[in-house]
Amino acid sequence: MKKTLLTTGILAMALTGGAYAQTLKVGVATAQTGALAHYDGPVVEGLQMGVDEINAAGGIGGTLKIELVQKDVRSDAAQTAIATQELVDAGVKVLILPCDADPSLAAISIVDSAQVPAISTCASSPTLPMIGGDYMFANFPGDNVQATVSAQWAYDQGMTTAYIVYSPDTQYTSMPLYFADVMETLGGEVVGRDTYTLGQQDFSAIATRIANMDPQPDVVMTSAYEPDFPSFIKALRAAGVTSQVIGSDGIDSPTTFSIGPAADRLVFTTAGHPTENSPMADFNAKYKETYGEESQTVFNAIGYDLAKVIEAASMAAGPDASSQELRDAIANLENVQGATSLITYKGTNGMPVREVTLIGVMSGERQLIGQPSPNPAIIPAPRMQ
Amino acid sequence: MELFLQQTVNAFALGGTYALLALGLAVVFSIMGLINFAHGELMTIAGYVLMYCGLAGISFVFAVPLALLASTFAAVLMERIAFRPVRNSSGATMLVTSFAVAMILQVLFQNLISVRSQPVLLPEALSGSITIGGLVIGVNKLVAIISTVIMLIFLDRFLSKQKYGIAMRAAAEDFAVARLMGIRANTVIAGAFAISGLLAGVAAILWVSQRASVDPLMGFTPVLKAFIAAILGGLGSLRGAVAGGFLLGFIEIYLAAFLPPALQEFRDPIGLGIVVLVLLMRPNGLLPAASLKAEKV
Repeated sequence: MKKTLLTTGILAMALTGGAYAQTLKVGVATAQTGALAHYDGPVVEGLQMGVDEINAAGGIGGTLKIELVQKDVRSDAAQTAIATQELVDAGVKVLILPCDADPSLAAISIVDSAQVPAISTCASSPTLPMIGGDYMFANFPGDNVQATVSAQWAYDQGMTTAYIVYSPDTQYTSMPLYFADVMETLGGEVVGRDTYTLGQQDFSAIATRIANMDPQPDVVMTSAYEPDFPSFIKALRAAGVTSQVIGSDGIDSPTTFSIGPAADRLVFTTAGHPTENSPMADFNAKYKETYGEESQTVFNAIGYDLAKVIEAASMAAGPDASSQELRDAIANLENVQGATSLITYKGTNGMPVREVTLIGVMSGERQLIGQPSPNPAIIPAPRMQ
Repeated sequence: MELFLQQTVNAFALGGTYALLALGLAVVFSIMGLINFAHGELMTIAGYVLMYCGLAGISFVFAVPLALLASTFAAVLMERIAFRPVRNSSGATMLVTSFAVAMILQVLFQNLISVRSQPVLLPEALSGSITIGGLVIGVNKLVAIISTVIMLIFLDRFLSKQKYGIAMRAAAEDFAVARLMGIRANTVIAGAFAISGLLAGVAAILWVSQRASVDPLMGFTPVLKAFIAAILGGLGSLRGAVAGGFLLGFIEIYLAAFLPPALQEFRDPIGLGIVVLVLLMRPNGLLPAASLKAEKV
């Protein structure tokens, strides 16, 4: 009898346990291994920090703790779809998907039919929410916005001839096409276009072609990222091209700052910069406290932003909100203070309005060039591939 | 004309690197009939040694021999641990073993070092360029060409003059008969792996000096190129591997350089199409291995 009582007691506790330990289940299907791990790895570190901080303070609104359910998708599109399905089956209310638009797109049908809002960690393709529909959100300044900022900057510096090197392999690596559009709108000229293959090791043929142009283009723009970008810029400089090189957020990594003199005339767009007393400087200090080393990339702070967006949406929708209500709450967020920037989803199709930062590289040091607001009139429309 | 010469220099540099990679595969294949897909991971190991040397402040001059030593040692170890137990199994077994070794190593790199790519500090001199007769040649291109030539000469001398080299050639021709003549199988195979590791190390240094970073999966692309080059040249033939490597480098660079802009997107399929054409005309590769003569495909 005693035993039965005990068993019933345990059973009762187990059944009612959920009622007083309320949690918001967030499914994290990101690339912790493979080619996208350069980005998703740091993002999840920052996300974990943000979640730990919120939970340490008692949870969202002091009551609702966040529970992260993590799965590694190995930078693989098919695996992303599988992991997403598993997470949806596990009853998550919000999904976090990998950094690049392409694997995120693989999960769309699941996201859409389960009606669970999904945010890509750092995909910057403006087409992602367009193809993804109402439940797909991004967490990064769009490719077209980044290209507008960098092209405007180049044009204002008096650079009027541009050469673009892009890869049709992914949405992200076709960013230079936006750059070319903006350059031409502004009155500049695109004097050449080249394509490369993702993972291409040797850029000497392209570099030689640019070096043999007379005159050399004022600016060479690419959105290649590691390991392609270092090979590209080294080949370019070794071939004797001295033009300004413009890159994008994918090269915001330690390698870029250790290339040496080859990277001296390099400017790239990214999502934030730790100016003094800024939220990002605070974040970086906290990061160092937590992980014992300096944050080496903006993608840590981008992960923290995700935690803040989820917190703000949950605050707005209430602790018992369904995933559909959370989706509406995210879509109506305005000026959420993240670590990198103020983040607004209201009035957008899921591509947030965020600050774009221009960073220059000089002698291996990061220099803030500016955080200009793009002119909305010249931002190119998202390009469907 | 100048542009053409310039692109030819580029092609020599890239082709040379491919030749070293293909040779690494061919040396082992000629003796064991194994295509070692973990060859790329030997490069990754050499790359990580360069990275750690940079972090420890060891000069590049000492880092290079250390990296070569590491990849050579790793290759010998790989043979001892993974390939010796399956040496007499079918080709498929050995092939799958090599994939397994590659994957295990990749996961170890990811878990023990980092999933993210790590910057490698390189001497600034390598990023520069020099002008010879109006041609601007990158220092790392020059280094690639020179090291390829040195390695080829070294290998040629080793195989034609040294006792172990001659034993290896004999084993490549007919392993069973070579063993009957008193050549020790273990020594010859370990020697082949050591050479393949050394070649992987040299190729890794050239490869890393271009990309300036190492990551756990970086071995995949080079081993794929090496595989194509080795097939193109004639699997199992060392001279063929060198020819195949250079031809692949020339195809890639000339297509990238001279294909009209509208066709550039199709550069890779066109390049592989040319490879297929060559193989249609010479099914056993450019310079087939002697042992293949009897079995025309």
